[in-house]
Amino acid sequence: MTKHRLLAATALSALMLGAAPAMAVTVTMNTVQIFGTIDPAKISDYTDYMAAVNLYDGLVTVDSDGNIVPELAESWTVSDDAREVTYKLRDDARFADGSPVEASDVVYTVERLLRINQGPANLFAGVLEPGSVTAIDNKTVKFTLSKTFAPFLTTVPAIFILNEELVKANEGDDDGQTFLATNVAGAGAYTLKSWDRGSQMTITRNPDYWKGFGEGSIDEVRWIVTNDEATVRSLAASGELTMSSQYQSPDTYAALEAMGRFYIAKEETSTSFYLKLNTKLAPTDDVHIRRAIALATDYETIREVISPGGILSTPLPKAFAAFHADDIPAPVYDLEAAKAEVAKSKYAGQPIPITLGYVAGTKFEEEISLLLQANLEQLGFVVTQQADPWNRITEIAGKVETSPNVNQIFFGPTYPSPDSMFFTQYHSSAAGTWASIEWLQDPEIDALIDEARATGDVDKQIELYKTLQHKLVDLQPDVFLNTQTVQHAMDKCLTGFKAVPMMSFDYDFTRYSWTC
Amino acid sequence: MAAQTVTNEPRRLSNAYQNWYRFSRNPTAVIGAGIVILAILAAILAPWITPYPEHVGAVVNFRARHLPPSAEYWFGTDNVGRDIFTRVIFGLRISLLLALVVLGIAIPVGTTLGLLAGYFGGWVEIVIMRLTDIALAIPPLVMALAVAAVLSPDLINSMLAIAALWWTWHTRLIYSITRQLRAQEFVEAAETLGASKFHILFREILPNCVSALAVKTSLDAGFVILVGASLSFLGLGIQPPTPDLGTMVASGSAFLPDYWWESVLPGMAILVVALGFNLLGDGLRDLFDVQEVR
Amino acid sequence: MEFLSFLFRRVLWSLLVLVGLSIVIFAIARVVPGDPARMALGPTATAEQVAALQEKLGLNKPIVEQYGMFISGLSRGDLGRSLLTERPVNDDIRETFAATFELVLATITLAFVFGVPLGVAAARWKDKWPDTLVRVLAIFSAVTPSFFAALLLQILAGYVLHILPTTGRLPHNMEFVANITGLLTVDSLIAGRLDVFGQAVRHLLLPATALALATMGQIARITRSSMIDVSSQDYIEASRAFGVPEPIRVFKYMLRPSFVPPLTILGLEFASLIGNAFVVELVFSWPGMAAYGIRTILQKDLNAVMGVVMVSGVFFVLVNLLIDVLVGFVDPRVRIRGSR
Repeated sequence: MTKHRLLAATALSALMLGAAPAMAVTVTMNTVQIFGTIDPAKISDYTDYMAAVNLYDGLVTVDSDGNIVPELAESWTVSDDAREVTYKLRDDARFADGSPVEASDVVYTVERLLRINQGPANLFAGVLEPGSVTAIDNKTVKFTLSKTFAPFLTTVPAIFILNEELVKANEGDDDGQTFLATNVAGAGAYTLKSWDRGSQMTITRNPDYWKGFGEGSIDEVRWIVTNDEATVRSLAASGELTMSSQYQSPDTYAALEAMGRFYIAKEETSTSFYLKLNTKLAPTDDVHIRRAIALATDYETIREVISPGGILSTPLPKAFAAFHADDIPAPVYDLEAAKAEVAKSKYAGQPIPITLGYVAGTKFEEEISLLLQANLEQLGFVVTQQADPWNRITEIAGKVETSPNVNQIFFGPTYPSPDSMFFTQYHSSAAGTWASIEWLQDPEIDALIDEARATGDVDKQIELYKTLQHKLVDLQPDVFLNTQTVQHAMDKCLTGFKAVPMMSFDYDFTRYSWTC
Repeated sequence: MAAQTVTNEPRRLSNAYQNWYRFSRNPTAVIGAGIVILAILAAILAPWITPYPEHVGAVVNFRARHLPPSAEYWFGTDNVGRDIFTRVIFGLRISLLLALVVLGIAIPVGTTLGLLAGYFGGWVEIVIMRLTDIALAIPPLVMALAVAAVLSPDLINSMLAIAALWWTWHTRLIYSITRQLRAQEFVEAAETLGASKFHILFREILPNCVSALAVKTSLDAGFVILVGASLSFLGLGIQPPTPDLGTMVASGSAFLPDYWWESVLPGMAILVVALGFNLLGDGLRDLFDVQEVR
Repeated sequence: MEFLSFLFRRVLWSLLVLVGLSIVIFAIARVVPGDPARMALGPTATAEQVAALQEKLGLNKPIVEQYGMFISGLSRGDLGRSLLTERPVNDDIRETFAATFELVLATITLAFVFGVPLGVAAARWKDKWPDTLVRVLAIFSAVTPSFFAALLLQILAGYVLHILPTTGRLPHNMEFVANITGLLTVDSLIAGRLDVFGQAVRHLLLPATALALATMGQIARITRSSMIDVSSQDYIEASRAFGVPEPIRVFKYMLRPSFVPPLTILGLEFASLIGNAFVVELVFSWPGMAAYGIRTILQKDLNAVMGVVMVSGVFFVLVNLLIDVLVGFVDPRVRIRGSR
């Protein structure tokens, strides 16, 4: 009941304060899945990060070129052995409630993150131990790493700083999890206005934001949860939609563009679209079968008709230019060669059962799966389609036996470093998630990844990553479909979308502006 | 001329023929029967009467996607280029099959329980009827979804869940008829003659329920098809690429209103088949003058 | 006096049914494969964290004890915590139930407001064209799957004619919270916000119509047949002979006794009404209990699933109880006959 009163009061004051309500700029965007949580210690997928990046600020953030730029911290220094990083906080950094952001808040945030051990905590496994973050003085905080971890600086943007006083006051008996499940205790540009878990979330600009706002800033962002194409079109037609999600079908984008109010913002990204193959489950446990599947995939039709994108030849997208192994050829569609590979496998000569998994309700994934089935059946496979809702996929990815043979997964770097592409997907200690559903668990690959993380020498890293790419292409744990060309239908008055190589950081609405 | 003393009884028309005659006077009933027969025939003969029977498998033809109805594709094509008419006819198979499964379970179970409850009374009646009340308190769709959560979300499980609730309607119907008949003379007579309970239930009472059962089954078939289609629409249908009418409507709805035929035509098929069973049931009800069946 | 004993008996049966329902639901929920604790914590959880949550949720206790916890929680109105939203299921359901309830109320209103007059007209002009029209409409509305009706209405009114909104309860940029009854229509009137009221009604029209069609048809048919039955009664003949004007004859003498069968129909239809509400809510993105239920079912959020099914069941039982009581009130024969 209190919450209703609070909402009513907010609505009322919004009505009163909005002296010129016609001037308030609201961006309405649809998302295809719900927001699981807004607790920075538990965020894990693109919607969680999208909310967090607006409601909270971190020590640093990422720009569209992948560079780490200051946010709450104004500068940082790295020790010679790369084991100590010291951040200096800005003097004017303030939380939404006006209190200053201090080093103790950072310490508390990291300690809590490690305690709860969910969400971004896995980025720091083995790197940050409890007690490794210390406050040197009010505005200076030092991170002491347990070992050399080259990509460390790129993982720091994922630490969204909590207001220690506020959280501790509402700690309860679960480390503030209940409180932070519905409240925001941060220094972000926006505050949570309303959240109907199943259908929408609205955030509103914090007028006291420490960084301030520029011209044409967005006053309110409203996310509507729906992946239904018809609903998106109807919202667009009625004038209620400002920006679409990036997961609509090509027909919908075309329809929205035809309405005249929208333009389609297209960007190459470093998010890659894979067919992840379960390397520990028959028949995809045989490398020849895996190569056969790769040869039986019609890359062109997929890229041109179903899900637009660029060519992907290795697990690492071309966006990571310096580290990309350019000598690896693009994948080929050749059914005859595929047949030859099947003949070389240990399953040759008999009908081969195989499961194709994809996200239920996603039209283009269904189309890709059907296309694959048509080709595979010509090779003697007996195909079972397995469409599951996303959260179920996250669940079945936890065990080898329940992970399907083929899975359509989009994976983008969770921090702007090639390590993010390799560690999260192929390292044994990252096993059991939707990103590592290949169950690769290859000690050679592990060793290469570990080596690359442990050295600060960029040339060595380049060499190691290129070797990694060659080895992985040989092992073929994935079919490399394409790099995603992200598309958004955006209202012509809205600008500012630029792809950022870190999950959902391109939906930081302080980077957008309304030009009408 | 010898006088003919043999009196000629006017030839009585047989019962079946009388029923047929009365039935055929009822235009809506005939239409209903026609639709049902057509649907069943189409479902059985599907592979032979459809123009693109291979389109129920994994066939994709991206050059022919989203084509409107034409001479080549009577109902147009869907988002991967498959002929919708063929898939609708095959989808009918699934719908009818499921109606068969659900009713095949619900009728025997429900009828038996109704007979027992109505004839024996006492605690048997109380237990059975309270069970029925409880089962009726759960909306069938909700039950199917709950079962889908427990087992895997596919059509068989959902229909079993529906069947687990559907018998209740039959139980109530047979129960009320049995209670009325229990007091009748022919039952008393059978009891006095020492007939076994089994005989009384299944040889005396049940035949008198047949007409009500026929009406109810026909009406039910239509409703089961609708419920099944709703479940598929929600995503609990058969896995692709096997065609299923409810799933086709759901799939096609993403392309409204431009490619309306992908959603509207399968939907109309569901409507027409359900209509057929409904009209047939109504016709049978008028024919047998059965009042108890809703 | 007999009315009271009738009432008492009906309430008792209803309670029994509810108890049985709770056992069934509980049994189903506990058969769920997959560990709800693990699901809630995510794939990176350590074994200790999972064990701790299991302990906290009492998942390791014997089944009977868990049922006891469930029942005692129910009686306090506590449906447990949703594993997904981490809020009391109570809160989640309260927010979403109001939306569903408003939709169902609007549906029933539409069904009666249109169904009864149509039935009366059909009876009045029996075997003439209004009768045939009504009967045809009734049949078609009964066999159209609600999701199909919903989609068709969406296309027609939303895309083609652009006259009615097709998603949600209010336009997304309209601010209003219904915190008195939870019903937008009622609360907006109380608050004097006629603009909100107008929009709320506009948004209700399509989903309620889609949902009401089947019931509307049934009600029209039943009203028609019971009106026909009643009109052949002696006292109606007498009133005609005495020259009682037709409107009075129809509305005062014929309509009231004809009301019982439609009410009974409503009771019987109610289960499918709730079921169809699921589908209609999805098509129109209506933020009701159905959408919530489907999501939590897919995510195996045990407490939430049990909450939704329980609330649906209770709602259904209460409505049927209400209808039985109303019918018993109106028709003395039912009271005397007692149990079904």
